Amino acid sequence: LNRKMALNLIAKAPGNLIRFTQPRLATFGRYAKVELTPPMPNELGQVIKSSAKLLQSTLTFKWATCTVGEAAVNAIIVAEIAGWFFIGECIGKGSVVGYQV
Amino acid sequence: MAVTLPEPVRVSPLIKTCRWTALGLGIWWGTKRYAALKAEEDEIRAYNAKMKPIWDAEKAAKAAASNREQMIYLAKESGTPIPEGF
Repeated sequence: LNRKMALNLIAKAPGNLIRFTQPRLATFGRYAKVELTPPMPNELGQVIKSSAKLLQSTLTFKWATCTVGEAAVNAIIVAEIAGWFFIGECIGKGSVVGYQV
Repeated sequence: MAVTLPEPVRVSPLIKTCRWTALGLGIWWGTKRYAALKAEEDEIRAYNAKMKPIWDAEKAAKAAASNREQMIYLAKESGTPIPEGF
């Protein structure tokens, strides 16, 4: 009887997997399409404007007047971008932990 | 699941460019460092492989010499005669 149960589980596994992942993949796709996509060419104008604004605020010391909350949020954003760099390094070196020379 | 998920956030394009450029830079940096480290390690491995026979021969010669001295010492202490040319 245990054997029958095991075979039944294995036979149903792909269907169960699909049924489990599809809605979750759908929600992930919904968020990813808005939040994660690389910048489209039509957004590059905004990029240049925002970076110019950032540069201006560093030069005029406006960054010293922002609240600690804002500074914390910006720090987290910088940390996230650094994280993407390290993920890229892991992809480039072909291993998660170290350089497998 | 009766929870309503929040609306996706419209991320600023500057942040999006920074993210994807960071990813690209990371991949490039990873491949570059990997190539450099692999070249160094290959050199070290080749050097060790080249020297291994030489080092093995040196070790064997040293072991044979010390073995001979110990046998001579034992023979002297135990009084056994040493054969000629040992």
